[in-house]
Amino acid sequence: TGDALRAFHAAIRSHPVNSKNPAVKEQAQGIMLKVLTSFKSSEIEQAVNSLDRNGVDLLMKYIYKGFEKPTENSSAILLQWHEKALAVGGLGSIVRVLTARKTV
Amino acid sequence: MAYHSFLLEPISCHAWNKDRTQIALCPNNHEVHIYRKDGAKWSKIHELKEHNGQVTGIDWAPESNRLVTCGTDRNAYVWTLKGNVWKPTLVILRINRAARCVKWSPKENKFAVGSGSRLISICYFEQENDWWVCKHIKKPIRSTVLSLDWHPNNVLLAAGSCDFKCRIFSAYIKEVEERPSPTPWGSKMPFGELMFESSSSCGWVHSICFSASGARVAWVSHDSTLCLADANKKMAVASLCTETLPLLAVTFITENSLVAAGHDCYPMLFTYEESQGTLTFGGKLDVPKQSSQRGLTARERFQNLDKKASSDTANATLDTLHKNSIRHVLVLVGGKGNCSQFCTTGMDGGMSIWDVKSLESALKDLKIK
Repeated sequence: TGDALRAFHAAIRSHPVNSKNPAVKEQAQGIMLKVLTSFKSSEIEQAVNSLDRNGVDLLMKYIYKGFEKPTENSSAILLQWHEKALAVGGLGSIVRVLTARKTV
Repeated sequence: MAYHSFLLEPISCHAWNKDRTQIALCPNNHEVHIYRKDGAKWSKIHELKEHNGQVTGIDWAPESNRLVTCGTDRNAYVWTLKGNVWKPTLVILRINRAARCVKWSPKENKFAVGSGSRLISICYFEQENDWWVCKHIKKPIRSTVLSLDWHPNNVLLAAGSCDFKCRIFSAYIKEVEERPSPTPWGSKMPFGELMFESSSSCGWVHSICFSASGARVAWVSHDSTLCLADANKKMAVASLCTETLPLLAVTFITENSLVAAGHDCYPMLFTYEESQGTLTFGGKLDVPKQSSQRGLTARERFQNLDKKASSDTANATLDTLHKNSIRHVLVLVGGKGNCSQFCTTGMDGGMSIWDVKSLESALKDLKIK
């Protein structure tokens, strides 16, 4: 669990928001999805609570990016993350996914 | 809280007269209706029909008792009360898109109109020709100007625009006023000078407001953020990402406290902490009476879990005073430095007056600094 949390924070910190390179963004998205999937359902809430406001906004961006290209099981896992992120970030965090000029 | 439902349609914009006995509003059409308070009721006493398009902005000058209106017909009218009739005077704004907002300057010798033409028209009265003329502020505005507010010195003007920026310009008109003395925003203020431009938001700036002293300016934008620039801190910008839907209106109620409202249909308090340069959420100002909570059946719980992956019991009806988005917030009593009453109007056609002292005693955790 400690490893997953560390990987999670590392992935959040190394976000490609300022990059214009689509390959970089694709890779970051893949890594984040792997990290999110590796969490047990019961650990998601704690992970979300360990983020600051910017982190929650970034997580929301990754979640919606993940919704765009669903795989076998990804949507169900992302929905669990979505519920916990929404509880902390509120609707405002979703609004900021929609209005952001710089995407992950 | 006193809530009055004026219409079934949105109130597009509104303004109050000096002693708050009359309200002028646009009932989502080309007209302006003026209502007068008669005890507990409101009676319509005037209908102003001159615009050929929806009226998007109304402002009522408290001292000279003149109204200025602007609309999607690209015009503005200054209205003066002659006997019992409001007489309009057309003001040529020289714009080729809809006008969106209008504000009298504090001394009421000028007014500013923001428009879709990506510029601000500063209008003043030319005595020799008995005619309102206007000057344009264009650079570097790149999109529709949605909101305006004047600095108390009658010269500086804050403008919020769809190009995501809050800007402060000088609207100094040498024909009607003396050169202004230096302010924390700068000393040289020729007409059109850009004194400040923000860079943080990612959304249309819906509403903008100077504090009572003019040293601070706050704005709300469509990315659900509230920002404040403090001229006494070298124009440092504090911003807060809110958990709510986008806010549409904001006003200062003291030098450190702001009330904002928007698509969540309730006003809320925000506090600026000068020493730390931070903005914090101070609480929801519309707390409904406790209504009986309807429990969910086991079947409904399972359906919720299956469809939405949540076990929430939140119901779908709004228990706020306003049943639709709040578009405007105006200070009624006390000014922006010591507001004791403010008013909200919205898309539900209703107008509500909020009493600050009552809110403070009803909501125990509320701290207005």
